[in-house]
Amino acid sequence: MSTPAAEHAPGQAPADGIAARARGLTKAYGSGETTVLALDSVDVDIARGRFTAVMGPSGSGKSTLMHCLAGLDTVSAGQVWLGDTEITGLKERELTRLRRDRIGFMFQSFNLIPTLDAAENITLPMDIAGKKPDEKWLAQVIDTLGLRDRLKHRPAELSGGQQQRVACARALVSRPELIFADEPTGNLDSRAGLEVLAFLRQAVDELGQTVVMVTHDPGAAAHSDLVLFLGDGRIVDEMERPTAEAVLERMKRFDVLRGQVEATDGQE
Amino acid sequence: MLKATLRSFLAHKGRLLLSALAILLSVAFVAGSLIFSDTVTRTFDRLFAHTSADVTVQPKKDLKSSVPTGETQTVPAALAKRLAAVPGVKSAHADVGVDNITIVDRNNKSVGPTSGAPTIATDWYLTPRSPVKLTSGHAPHGPGEALLDADTADKKHVRIGDTLTLMAQPGTFKVRVTGIATFTTTNPGAALVYLDPEIAAGKLLGSADRATSISVDAAKGVSDAQLKRRVLAVTGIGAYDVKTADEQAKSSAEQLGGFLDVIKYVMLGFAGIAVLVGIFLIVNTFSMLIAQRTRELGLLRALGADRRQVRRSVLTEAVLLGVTGSTLGLAAGIGLAAGLIKLMSAFGMNLKATEMVVGWGTPVAAYVVGIGVTFVAAYLPARRAAGVSPMAALSDAESAGIGRPLRTRAIVGAVVGALGAAALAGCAASSKTASAASLLGLGVVLTLIATVVAGPLLVRPVIRVLGGAFPALFGSVGRMSQRNALRNPRRTGATAAALMVGLALVGGMSVASASMSKSFDRQIDKTLGADFMVQNSNFMPFSQEVTDKVRATDGVGLVVRERFTGIALRLPDGKRVETTAAGFDPRLDDVAHIAYARGDTAAALAEGNIAMDRKYAEDHGVRMGAVLPAQFPGGHTAQVRVAALTNQEGSSGFGSEGGLFFGISTVEKYVPNGQDTVLFVNRAAGTGADQLRKNLETTLKPFPQVQVRDQADYKKLIHDQIAVLLYLVYALLGLAIVIAVLGVVNTLALSVVERTREIGLLRAIGLARRQLRRMIRLESVVIAVFGAVLGLALGLVWGVCTQQVLALQGMKALAVPWGTIVAVVIGSAVVGIVAALLPALRASRMNVLAAIAHE
Repeated sequence: MSTPAAEHAPGQAPADGIAARARGLTKAYGSGETTVLALDSVDVDIARGRFTAVMGPSGSGKSTLMHCLAGLDTVSAGQVWLGDTEITGLKERELTRLRRDRIGFMFQSFNLIPTLDAAENITLPMDIAGKKPDEKWLAQVIDTLGLRDRLKHRPAELSGGQQQRVACARALVSRPELIFADEPTGNLDSRAGLEVLAFLRQAVDELGQTVVMVTHDPGAAAHSDLVLFLGDGRIVDEMERPTAEAVLERMKRFDVLRGQVEATDGQE
Repeated sequence: MLKATLRSFLAHKGRLLLSALAILLSVAFVAGSLIFSDTVTRTFDRLFAHTSADVTVQPKKDLKSSVPTGETQTVPAALAKRLAAVPGVKSAHADVGVDNITIVDRNNKSVGPTSGAPTIATDWYLTPRSPVKLTSGHAPHGPGEALLDADTADKKHVRIGDTLTLMAQPGTFKVRVTGIATFTTTNPGAALVYLDPEIAAGKLLGSADRATSISVDAAKGVSDAQLKRRVLAVTGIGAYDVKTADEQAKSSAEQLGGFLDVIKYVMLGFAGIAVLVGIFLIVNTFSMLIAQRTRELGLLRALGADRRQVRRSVLTEAVLLGVTGSTLGLAAGIGLAAGLIKLMSAFGMNLKATEMVVGWGTPVAAYVVGIGVTFVAAYLPARRAAGVSPMAALSDAESAGIGRPLRTRAIVGAVVGALGAAALAGCAASSKTASAASLLGLGVVLTLIATVVAGPLLVRPVIRVLGGAFPALFGSVGRMSQRNALRNPRRTGATAAALMVGLALVGGMSVASASMSKSFDRQIDKTLGADFMVQNSNFMPFSQEVTDKVRATDGVGLVVRERFTGIALRLPDGKRVETTAAGFDPRLDDVAHIAYARGDTAAALAEGNIAMDRKYAEDHGVRMGAVLPAQFPGGHTAQVRVAALTNQEGSSGFGSEGGLFFGISTVEKYVPNGQDTVLFVNRAAGTGADQLRKNLETTLKPFPQVQVRDQADYKKLIHDQIAVLLYLVYALLGLAIVIAVLGVVNTLALSVVERTREIGLLRAIGLARRQLRRMIRLESVVIAVFGAVLGLALGLVWGVCTQQVLALQGMKALAVPWGTIVAVVIGSAVVGIVAALLPALRASRMNVLAAIAHE
């Protein structure tokens, strides 16, 4: 839990636009009396060229928010746009194409296909699309992430941190409009975790990408430009230029509210 | 522990379903064949026991010819009168019944059964034992009347008043149908015509003084055995075959048994294939289940279950599966038997499905096979399960069972493979048919085992090549499917093995049959010189009238008759062989090219002489000029002199040895009432082949069963006959494929489940459902084609070695049916696609989020 917010400047690319947007986003599970609202009419704008973190206690709906923004999950009500495209109402096939061409993903674990080597994993979304990766950009991403000498390795031959870096490279290589990272450091030791966070930061600052990261770790959130706090399916607060301490303090208020300690809990 | 076992069995019932299906199939074939043969045996035992006279006197069956000779053996009709006078005899009747007859209707269409069952003409003599009763019309009186059985009348649309032409050995005559006789028992499928007993012997046997058998019935209080003794006292022992009703029923049943045995063995062959392929499926299923449950088993071990308990738990599951599969299989077997019985009635054999016999042996066999197979197949996986360390509970389950070294397999596979290869090489080098055939059998079994054992080792090199083009053709989808197939070589190998077994059989058999066809073609080209051959469609002899009419046909220059007879020779090496010899007209050289090592056609066909295959003569110490004691049907004996030795390829056909032939006068002399089987016809000068063919066909119009063939027709006929053999193999293949598909489905379904998270990830980063399905399909295709390639390679080796054995029988040509082989490879790819349908659908329907979160 380090890297005070003051040490990093806001994203190089000016926050001149909205990468993704949700209005009245509602996600309900079950029906009738047992209905659980995972997201309760959420309005949110994800600024382009910035590093946004989504935080909240377990069950606050932070992963659901990400899934809905990324077109992985359907919404119960409301609208979601990626850039100018409204993705609510898109067909399964169009959503798949959208994810493939316009969104990058990083998950907590099991990010890579075990039968493919690092290079093949990195270019997988482009290969699936039948597109040739931009060689210069590919080289830049690989060098930025320090993967040059690991390209021919299978995931099983890579450390956890290296695996997440490959996943990061894969998310970057097609220059998506938006990268979603779901607890990308959750399975890493603190050193490897810091490395990955630094790369995400770099992706925003130097490569001009837009990143949305779901996390429950205040230290990780401190690397972002903006932290959105979710509680009970709503955005209850936000914090620009966060520090780990400030985020931790804010999170403690959730705990007081609920009368229990969840900050060290796993993901929802 | 039992509770845990039961729970696990029920929890995995979906997984086990396909294994149960494989067991079901094998058990169904075992049970079905047993039920069918029991049913048929009992039906006919009853029929024969019911219809046999107390004592039957028949001509002594001294020589059985494997080739039909058309000759009917008889007893003197007067014997009936002598026997009627014996004390204790209620009645004695001289029966007349022949099956060397052709019956055609007014339009020259045969009314005989098309199934190969005989057409029988017999005298109308009604007794309480008769299997028929007159249901309409009146009994036949005089030479112009006859009865027909109801089934034939029905099938061939013959009505009372219609005229039939009967072509019997002594001559052709016409009858009017005056009545219909209906079977009161099971109709074995034959067509029956009944004549007035007064004229039957004269019309059918050519002499009113002859009979084909005498039926003797006992007076009250005289047992069959007593009666037989008294009859024997009159006839003398050894002059005739005298049988009591029981003995007669038994021998009739045995005669029929040959045909039924074929069905039984074919079904058991199916069962065998099903069992063999099923074993792979079960081994694979249990291996995968155990790999999946490594953690669970580890936990059980950590909680204090010992190895034996774990093993027993898995084996108990196997037994449960076996019991379920066997029970269902038994039920399916009953259905299968019912289907077969229905099928038989299509051939005219009216068995009643309601009288199905399920002997106690059937369920026993069903459960022994079903449970035994499952138990054996689950044993190795069970041992492996018992070997799971308690630590496995803590580690990652996914890696279990993948990385274990294949060294043991490599060693066992190499050793068994080397032995098998040695056996096959020995077979190819051997010069004796018997030893070559047994070496072939040994080599086939050993190489099969070696390939199954070493299969997983071949997965990497072969699939690298087979799937080599996938990345280029299908991009990363292709790359992933190829690598998925390589992921667990053991599993891929076992899955493909199921397909391999069937296809190896097909490969071997198709090479053998193509080689046989080619050899026969060559032989026909080399030896057959006639323009046309006139022959019965079922190769039975035809009546003298056909020969006479062909001879009288316009444009016929030369007719050479071929007539067969059974013969027994005492050879110098002390062996007595019963075989078949052919008799030819003198101008044989004009219609056939026979290669002589010694002597010539004139010598071979001269009175008292015989020709023999050179190799056969050498093997049995027969020298040129040797005089051999010969015996003919009916007890005639003669001395024949070996006057020619021939170099014949494949001698004279199936079922006869020695390639014996002599002048047709020899046959006529010793077997006076024989019939010709083949007429070789050459055209007269100035007549075109087409013209002669037309003339012959016009001549033979009243004889629908007799056909005119030129050399090309004859080749086609032979090919068709060999094809029948192939159809059987293809049917076997069909079954093997069904089970192999189940195996591939099983493997893919489990792989899909295991890779749930991976699939979720792929979908999340943008793999379309269609692409996902394609990925699984390609994996399936590459596994199937791998099995096909392995199987066909093995089959080719087998086929070439089989051809070496055939070559010893004179079939020297080798032909590899590449068309078939390519078709099989393509077919196996289709099989792969079909097998992937469900697993692919399932994978593509997976919820992306649930898949990502899958543990």
